[in-house]
Amino acid sequence: MVSGAVNRYDAIVIGGGHNGLTAAAYLARAGKRVVVLEKRKILGGATVTEEIYPGFKFSVASYVVSLLRPEIIRELDLVRHGLTVLPVDGTLTPLDDDYLWRVDDHGATVRELRRWSKRDAEAYEEYAVLMAEMARFVKPLLGETPGRVGSNPWAALAKRFAALPESQQTTFIQLLTMSSADFVSQWFETEPLRATLCASGIIGTFLGPRSPGSAYVLLHHYMGEVDGEYRAWGLPVGGTGAISGAIGAAAREFGAEIRTDSAVAQVTTRGGKTSGVLLESGEEIRAPVVLSSADVRVTLGRLLESGTLGEADAAAVSRYKFRGSSAKVNFALSGLPTFTCLPAGTTDVYRGMVSISPSIDYIERAYDDAVDGRFSREPYVDMGFPSFVDPSVAPPGQHVMACFVQYAPYELAEGTWDEQREALGDTVQKTIARYAPDLSAKVLYRQTVTPLDIERTFGLTEGNIFQGELLLEQLFSGRPLPGAGYATPVPGLWLCGSSTHPGGAISGAPGRNAAREVLKSMRR
Amino acid sequence: MKRFDAIVIGAGHNGLVCAAYVGLAGLRALVLERRDVVGGMAETSEILPGVRVPTLAHTVGRLSAKVGRDLRLRSHGLAFIEPSVRVFAPRPDGGATVLWGDANRTVAGLGADGTAYAAADQTVREWASALAELMARAPIDLAAPSVGDIFSGLRLRARTPSADLLRVMPMAVRDLVGEWFKSDALQAAVAARGVLLSGLAPRMPGTAGVLLTDLAGNDGGLAGQTVFARGGPGAVSAALAAAVRAAGGQIRLGAAVTKVRRDGEQARGVTLESGEEIDAPIVVSNLDPRTTLLDLVDPEVLGPRLGWRAANIRARGVTAKVNLALSDLPAFAATRGDAQLLKGRVLIAPSMRYLDLAMRPAKFGAMAEQPLLELTIPSLSDPSLVAPIGRGKAGKVKHVMSVIVQAVPYTSREIGDVVISTLEEYAPGVGALVIERQVITPRDIERDYGASGGHPMHAEVALDQFYAWRPLHGYGRYRMPLRGLYLAGAGAHPGGGLTGLPGRLAAQAVLDDRGRKVKA
Repeated sequence: MVSGAVNRYDAIVIGGGHNGLTAAAYLARAGKRVVVLEKRKILGGATVTEEIYPGFKFSVASYVVSLLRPEIIRELDLVRHGLTVLPVDGTLTPLDDDYLWRVDDHGATVRELRRWSKRDAEAYEEYAVLMAEMARFVKPLLGETPGRVGSNPWAALAKRFAALPESQQTTFIQLLTMSSADFVSQWFETEPLRATLCASGIIGTFLGPRSPGSAYVLLHHYMGEVDGEYRAWGLPVGGTGAISGAIGAAAREFGAEIRTDSAVAQVTTRGGKTSGVLLESGEEIRAPVVLSSADVRVTLGRLLESGTLGEADAAAVSRYKFRGSSAKVNFALSGLPTFTCLPAGTTDVYRGMVSISPSIDYIERAYDDAVDGRFSREPYVDMGFPSFVDPSVAPPGQHVMACFVQYAPYELAEGTWDEQREALGDTVQKTIARYAPDLSAKVLYRQTVTPLDIERTFGLTEGNIFQGELLLEQLFSGRPLPGAGYATPVPGLWLCGSSTHPGGAISGAPGRNAAREVLKSMRR
Repeated sequence: MKRFDAIVIGAGHNGLVCAAYVGLAGLRALVLERRDVVGGMAETSEILPGVRVPTLAHTVGRLSAKVGRDLRLRSHGLAFIEPSVRVFAPRPDGGATVLWGDANRTVAGLGADGTAYAAADQTVREWASALAELMARAPIDLAAPSVGDIFSGLRLRARTPSADLLRVMPMAVRDLVGEWFKSDALQAAVAARGVLLSGLAPRMPGTAGVLLTDLAGNDGGLAGQTVFARGGPGAVSAALAAAVRAAGGQIRLGAAVTKVRRDGEQARGVTLESGEEIDAPIVVSNLDPRTTLLDLVDPEVLGPRLGWRAANIRARGVTAKVNLALSDLPAFAATRGDAQLLKGRVLIAPSMRYLDLAMRPAKFGAMAEQPLLELTIPSLSDPSLVAPIGRGKAGKVKHVMSVIVQAVPYTSREIGDVVISTLEEYAPGVGALVIERQVITPRDIERDYGASGGHPMHAEVALDQFYAWRPLHGYGRYRMPLRGLYLAGAGAHPGGGLTGLPGRLAAQAVLDDRGRKVKA
């Protein structure tokens, strides 16, 4: 039944996304014979740059980086492999007749905030320090392998929690339990500030800003750093694909083999143990260890022969929640859009992000649309202009505009995403044009990436960008299977994607942690 | 002037429970109540001469059995009525979901989902017994914990599936019932208690925990409690008041406390509206935590940071109460003429979608067009409630109906009409039976019962105001920032509902600090 050559490797990595490549690099670095199998013609998974429209390079899915672990950059020598990250400076929240504009220059931001509220300007200082403290407290967890409830990582966490000052203990509890709207509203009264801050709490998760649990997602987005600066976001030169490119190059240098156009059809087992994979081409590749950077539903649901999992494990896999709720719209523009709320000729705004988040109610209503099974009529949009700081991604004078959109529910009450794709694109364009009326005249090309497209193109179940919602019950020991960490019920089969702790975004942590666990098990 | 060991502010049920326990331990307790009746939200009141309704709370099944025994409430005249039907949830299509105290009877009526219900009921009973134990104890001290403490907290009890509970408690109740049942109607009938008396929607994380702690407060089954006190919930308060007096305590009505007085960092008594000052080294507040900390305590004691935290305690009530005096029993089509089905809690929550839409307005301070209703017709089980005096309006009354309504704005004239129009769909002609109508809005709850924000649970019941951090992290063990000041109300663990547990645990804290044992 099986044709083609049969190779031997110490380990096979399914998926050439940034986590799969990271895992492969670490295994190869430890002297293991590794092969990475990527279904698409190009590497990167959702961390990819593609020339969708001639001359314009889109970061099709993920578009900014912040959580990429510094130890990975160091250990894999990613800078030598061509990784350059330029800082994103500031966030503009345009309003109909005003704006809120926060920039890296702390003084300038505080002056801007004082324009809105003296109280908020003062609170902002305390808030920034506190969130940095929280990020520092949580950061060590990113590199840990969560065990069963009550296991050592929990004990360590409990000890460190006990050592925190009361004010930080309180904030940590709040970040784990509160809604992002309630959390930020404790500090601030300025509505666009509240809304823009708490919007980080809904990314990639089917929650509204007033849903408890969204404060954690907020924290998740505060853990990032660029060159050691917390809360900083960056744009990789050449698009996010450059990150996978650098990690891939590192992996190759360590001796990993990387094959594109190699879709895995099945993870094969023998006597209940992992024995390798079967490609869609019919080729079989053997290895005692398989790491999958595909999500837990794809890996344990689709790639395993049914019946391999016990009933309880199968149930745990099927109740793991994905519920994609985000979309991406990428624009090729003949020129930059003009935000009419700003003084004419303001260009610094394009160095940062623009957030369509005028009020908490606005985002909450956008969420309610999704609850009703339709994309938001007035969505939350977070957009950037990578070509402004990185001219390499667009022709001279022309620009790329990347728009993250919420909410776009995977499940629609009526119709299909194939029917509604352009309607979503139109809505996003209209939403932005409200603040930048000249946008439409400058659109050369528009790519609308719906949750269905994310699932089809990148194999992310239900189009969830984090390979599973960042819900409290799906964090740490609960991610993805209670207490399992990176292992699966099938000996030799491991998970190394965003389905595992610490979850989504371009961090590489799941890949690095999984590789560490695999190497441990190989030494046994 | 008499000397007292302890002053309890507020004669709500938790205040009375606390006073009775400290009294039994030999302390001289004085309960000060602003209103001219005891009981707070556990009240029975006349809506017409001789016609009585459960003013706010209408079922009492979560009252701790231990509290009942310790305080000998039966010998103080408390009697319970437990209909065999717990929940009757009619649907517009004329069908209904019925949950019985006897799970087997429920299973028999459920058809396809019967087996799933039986399994879930079993699981929930295991979880609930672990939770019940957690709720009957003071929370662990997170502020200065030993790791052991943390673990007893995490593990709940060694033999309980703590991983299970840690997985489900933070979940959205919609996802939990979705894991259990296929039937949308059954999902809604069970999930409703996960959002009742809160401002949360069924898709919000933590509502599964709200449901489970509610279930843990009674026999633990999925059906939840439906227990009436003969004479209405006021009878619980009356029995508690008798228990307080039997334990040597005193109760003063019409005595509104305006300040907690102190010597430095130590409480020394209270000041009444009248200006009268009463001394005691122990002051227990049964008021909500916001009022206790922000109105009664000297701001100097709190300092700016704690004052800020107290002001951020979330307590926006979105629950209203509508009480109706009816000329006859309303005809719910789905009962097919079997009035016995109306003896339990009647739930207007026919689908998960209905629950979503009913709770959505809570986020915007608006009124639900079709609200979530939990109603009871206590006169069906307790005829003593309808003993009309005179031939006037009262003479025409045959039954009284008690309706909990969500989500509503702080105040609104529509509430009564919306309730009737909603009910008409399930019980055509009910509007024509209404002889008297009483509407109690969150504003009324705040003004008349002193609950900050009009929240019936004193503080929103949600993950961030839960267990050891209810009402505030660092103050989750009944001791307030002023030495000698304690919190005994629903704003403390294990929270709201007619349980008596916060009162009991506060008494325990008082007595621990005094080196005394809780006596029963």
